[in-house]
Amino acid sequence: MPERINGEIGLVLHSHPYKETSLLIEAFTRHHGRISLMARGARRPHSALKAKLLPFQPLAFDWFGKGPLYTLHAVEWQGDGRSLAGAALMCGFYLNELLMRLLPPGDPHEALYDQYRATLQELADGLEAEPVLRRFELALLTELGYAQTLTELAGSGQKVEPDARYGYALDLGVTAPSASGPVFAGKTLLDMAAGDYRDPRTLAESKLLMRQLLAHYLGDKPLATRQLLIDLQKI
Amino acid sequence: MKLPGTLEALIDALRVLPGVGPKSAARMAYHLMQRDRVGAQRLAACLTTALDKLHHCERCNNFSETPVCELCANPRRDARLLCVVEMPVDLNRMEETQAYKGLYFVLMGRLSPLDGIGPREIGLERLLQRAQDGVTQEVVLATNYTAEGEATAHYLSELLKARGLKVSRIARGIPAGGELEYVDAMTIAQAFTDRRAL
Ligand SMILES: [Zn+2]
Repeated sequence: MPERINGEIGLVLHSHPYKETSLLIEAFTRHHGRISLMARGARRPHSALKAKLLPFQPLAFDWFGKGPLYTLHAVEWQGDGRSLAGAALMCGFYLNELLMRLLPPGDPHEALYDQYRATLQELADGLEAEPVLRRFELALLTELGYAQTLTELAGSGQKVEPDARYGYALDLGVTAPSASGPVFAGKTLLDMAAGDYRDPRTLAESKLLMRQLLAHYLGDKPLATRQLLIDLQKI
Repeated sequence: MKLPGTLEALIDALRVLPGVGPKSAARMAYHLMQRDRVGAQRLAACLTTALDKLHHCERCNNFSETPVCELCANPRRDARLLCVVEMPVDLNRMEETQAYKGLYFVLMGRLSPLDGIGPREIGLERLLQRAQDGVTQEVVLATNYTAEGEATAHYLSELLKARGLKVSRIARGIPAGGELEYVDAMTIAQAFTDRRAL
């Protein structure tokens, strides 16, 4: 049945040219999760719609039609003027790329949506990017059921000790340190579970763990945002 | 209905144009073949000549028939200023204003990781070389005020400043003749963020 939704809050993840004068918007909304919206005529010169459909800006969308591709009817800016600038923009692109690659469309993910908004806000406020990104990566993987508990040992349920060393197996979670895989301090795992990244070792080891997990779920295609930063560094 | 192969190939070829889908391409093809064969001849000839004669200017990366374009070769332009734009149409708009007397560099794009466009795809290293000619004193970044244009401006400014160049960014805000009552909220908010001391 065709539906009509008014005033749904969300953000643009990315837009592509669609047909002759339209834009295809990939959006992340609070109650409808990831959806595709067709913005008719948005690529015509002087389209008022296109200038509003910027990423990282909270918007209220009105749409109608039958899924999976809905027709965007109107959009209203809901921001407060604070926006990503400078290097934080690339962090924003990174978040959007992760969401587009990992989040399946059509299901609501309200907690993750709220975390995404909060993450953008922290980046806009100029907080140190690495801890902010690690928290979001863990929230995303947890929401998708891809991250196991970090505070207990898989199987036995034994508490993780800050001073002990552990391994991490993708489908099990925290294990005894393995000879082949990377080894993590118990404190790193506990810090991550608590969202506390003040310890430099936590920051370094969590990056390693998140990268290992993300690489598995992202598959062979590398992240374009990461590749771009690597390419820029070579110049 | 099965179309003649050449007609089908023409329709298919016309679809390389941005914003041209199968319907528009078919309309164009029928128009050219049926109503304006002279125009079609001219289009074919112009395309061939343009492909043969048009290259990128060695200095500004814009299209040119000569190794260095007319604008770059003009001694009356202020060579101390270098303005960076995304596309040739942006350069044309800047020129229409007659407010700018310096030289240009056309990136032919913008950094856009989610579209797979990185520093290699835009002429980033050529711009860095161009800006270090010893004459350029200030680089004016006039990329668009989109997320991608802003990210491009950020990384360009980092790279250019690291090479000792003065970098500026064109301002954004309330349009000329704009009345706050009629300006959209996002523009006003950005104008407020970018306010300047008097
Ligand atoms: Zn030139």
